[in-house]
Amino acid sequence: MLVEVRPSKKLRGARALNLTACLAPILDALCEDSLDLSRLRLVCDWVQYKNNFRDVIDVRPILSPAKQNGRAAEPDDDKLEIAIDLRRCADADLADVVRDVLARRTEPEGLQRVYLEDWSRGTTSRIWEFNSLYWRFLGVWEKATGRLYEQALPGGESDARNIAGVHELIKEMFLVWDDLAAHNALPDELYVIELGVGNGNQAKTWLDEFAKLDAEHGSEYYRRLHYMMCDYSEHVLSSARENVADHAAHVSSFALDATTPMTALGFLRYKVFLVYISNVYDNLPTEDVAQIGGHTYHAEIRAYLPKAGAARIAERFGVESHKLVGTIDKLLSLGPELLVDALSANFGEVARAAEFWMAVWDAVKLEERYVPMTGLDLYEIAPGVNGEMLRPMLERHGDVRMQVSNGAIASFVDTLPLLHPYGRLQCHDIFVTDPHQYRTGFLGPGKYDGSIVNWVNGPLLQHIGRRKGFDVGYAPFAHRTGTNIVTLTAQVRD
Amino acid sequence: MSQETARSTEQSASATLPMLPTTVVGSYSVPEWLERLKTDFYLHRISPAHLAEIHDVAIKAAIKDQEQAGIDVVSDGELRRDNDIDYLLARIPGVSITDTNKAYYYDYYDAEVPEPLATSETSALGLVDDFVFTRGQTDRPIKFSFTGPFSLSRRIRKSAYSNRADLVRSLARALNAEARELVAAGATRLQIDEPFLAGYPDDAGLAIEAINLVTEDVEADWALHVCYGNRYARPSWEGHYDFLFPAVLDAEVGTLVLEFARKGYGDLALFKRYPWERRLGLGVIDVKSEEVETSEIVAARIRRALEVVPPERLIVNPDCGLRHLPAFVARAKLKAMVAGAAAVRQELSQPKQATAEPSAPALTEES
Repeated sequence: MLVEVRPSKKLRGARALNLTACLAPILDALCEDSLDLSRLRLVCDWVQYKNNFRDVIDVRPILSPAKQNGRAAEPDDDKLEIAIDLRRCADADLADVVRDVLARRTEPEGLQRVYLEDWSRGTTSRIWEFNSLYWRFLGVWEKATGRLYEQALPGGESDARNIAGVHELIKEMFLVWDDLAAHNALPDELYVIELGVGNGNQAKTWLDEFAKLDAEHGSEYYRRLHYMMCDYSEHVLSSARENVADHAAHVSSFALDATTPMTALGFLRYKVFLVYISNVYDNLPTEDVAQIGGHTYHAEIRAYLPKAGAARIAERFGVESHKLVGTIDKLLSLGPELLVDALSANFGEVARAAEFWMAVWDAVKLEERYVPMTGLDLYEIAPGVNGEMLRPMLERHGDVRMQVSNGAIASFVDTLPLLHPYGRLQCHDIFVTDPHQYRTGFLGPGKYDGSIVNWVNGPLLQHIGRRKGFDVGYAPFAHRTGTNIVTLTAQVRD
Repeated sequence: MSQETARSTEQSASATLPMLPTTVVGSYSVPEWLERLKTDFYLHRISPAHLAEIHDVAIKAAIKDQEQAGIDVVSDGELRRDNDIDYLLARIPGVSITDTNKAYYYDYYDAEVPEPLATSETSALGLVDDFVFTRGQTDRPIKFSFTGPFSLSRRIRKSAYSNRADLVRSLARALNAEARELVAAGATRLQIDEPFLAGYPDDAGLAIEAINLVTEDVEADWALHVCYGNRYARPSWEGHYDFLFPAVLDAEVGTLVLEFARKGYGDLALFKRYPWERRLGLGVIDVKSEEVETSEIVAARIRRALEVVPPERLIVNPDCGLRHLPAFVARAKLKAMVAGAAAVRQELSQPKQATAEPSAPALTEES
């Protein structure tokens, strides 16, 4: 049996975790069972997100590569991973929980859980429909919680509006433009793109400061500037446009999916001097891969509601139990406003539909299993990027599980062609910058209000960027202390 | 194949070239598996002998692809080279590369020239072996390309020369010695690539001076290729070819091979403004896009060039090397290029009145 304790820092210091107390009842319960302990992995995390998709103890089958190759496998061929959230261990009778989850392995499926979907690799899971719903109906969510999105961020506002950071960036651009102008190589139009514009506060700050600094600089760059605000939601763009009304002549807006910017912005290929992205990548769909005992696996997931929780929700909102999944389907496809029209007997007003949405979201958990990968080259991480890009990380770091950050990578590789040879991409987000972090920390997914958050696989982005001719660097966000935010900068190398 | 036989074969093949001959710029599609194996070599996972065998096989396939596409003048695809710079720099005596490890085969080394380069009359770069191998694989005429002295100098971080121009000239002399050996081995078509020149437009005069040192007393059909860079399938610079003129008029080369398909054909007007009486290698395939051009598009591009360059002085080629394109895209693009050239060739062979296609709009400076 292999026991992997990831949050090693929690084992020391004044408030050290009593690991023995956590593990002893678990190991005792495991020894009582007939399970082949030699095939067992016990992985211990510290899930820092208060709202998340995990139980205190989860069981994850590791399917046999032999089965994937079409050969008959022995019934006991599968290995097993038991995942423990050490943060919640003190709150549970762990031996009982272990006995319970092991007993459940032999039960018919669905006895204790209401499944919302079949197994998937992750990016197509229904949890991303919840995430999408949140952004589409942000106003409804904010009204229901009485709290604006930015207030949910650490520090209460987006780092994107930090004036010192904005000044630094603009001044560096002026240096590049001055040099190009001196060589008669500065284009007439100077393009800047912001992906994920939100309420437009960052755009307003940036444009205000740009106009001010340009007036001081005296080069009339503001006259040539085109700021392209891009967001998934037309509604969001509309309010962002109001916010930057003073700069209307220099601003255009595009409703687009952050993972495919070229679909709308292809005409700007090689023309953009700055692509600015803040807190977008961590919220894009991802899959997990794991290297276990020399084999590479997809971590497949399946969203479910615990049966007892599902029953409580059904009762609270007057939904018949067997219609609960269908009602959730309607919520995800129609949104809370139209759900009121569709099921007025259950939801008399939007606020009630929003309560239902929040209750379901709060209860959603993920079941996981490991399915062998048939070949890295056959795995499409994102359009035009295959799994071979994972090879260096998987080969170099032994048994490791990590997010692939598929959505972030799709966005990244579809953004790079926009950049002028002297352009740059700057992105503030929560990045893993050292693969060792995958061995020591829990990096998602977590629930952040109504959205999903996963730390972004920085080394993978760096590797892919390098293969596309870009230097990708990471630095702690320089203009606020005590933040997890990291700044990614990508520029053409050589 | 002996060197004499090689020369004889090359000459007889040359005689059969059609009007509007098609060729490649140099590099050919590098498959992902080959990139992995090349990287494995730099990570010391496979031996030089294995890598050499792998290269031999890949080059044979690249030549076959070009032949099947109908390319008139083929290349070895530059598949042995890690990149356009290091394959040469690392072999020039006096160029020092301290760290020869690479995490990825295509990365550039950090090169220095701690002492002025010694002048040598003999080749040291080993390109002759590459040419002889290629010659043995095909009966078609071969174009053999190498990076020019100006671009090589831009990747030398530190040198003993107080004046960069002297470094460029020294590199040119080393390449001249290599060119002499290549011609002695039977090479008849040599091309100098200057992918960095567009980034330093003020240095066009120096670059041309150095090119003339490379070609000095070397009896070959010389071409000069200048593009806006193709590193990782991206342009390294943007601009126009104005900077090349009038300096390039002094270049001792027979063909100027330029990038047009990606940038547009506005710069063709330069050939009206300046008296370039030699051949133009017309870029008709965008190597930075995986979208395959139709033969009709290729033909239209050729027709447009024919407004300023007569057909006997026009060569049809992609904008640059095909190295970053997937093999199936590269093959399709070459086939479209060959078909487009054939269509225009046929039109030219018809009596004037039989030409049905309307001609393209008159070329202007702004177009």
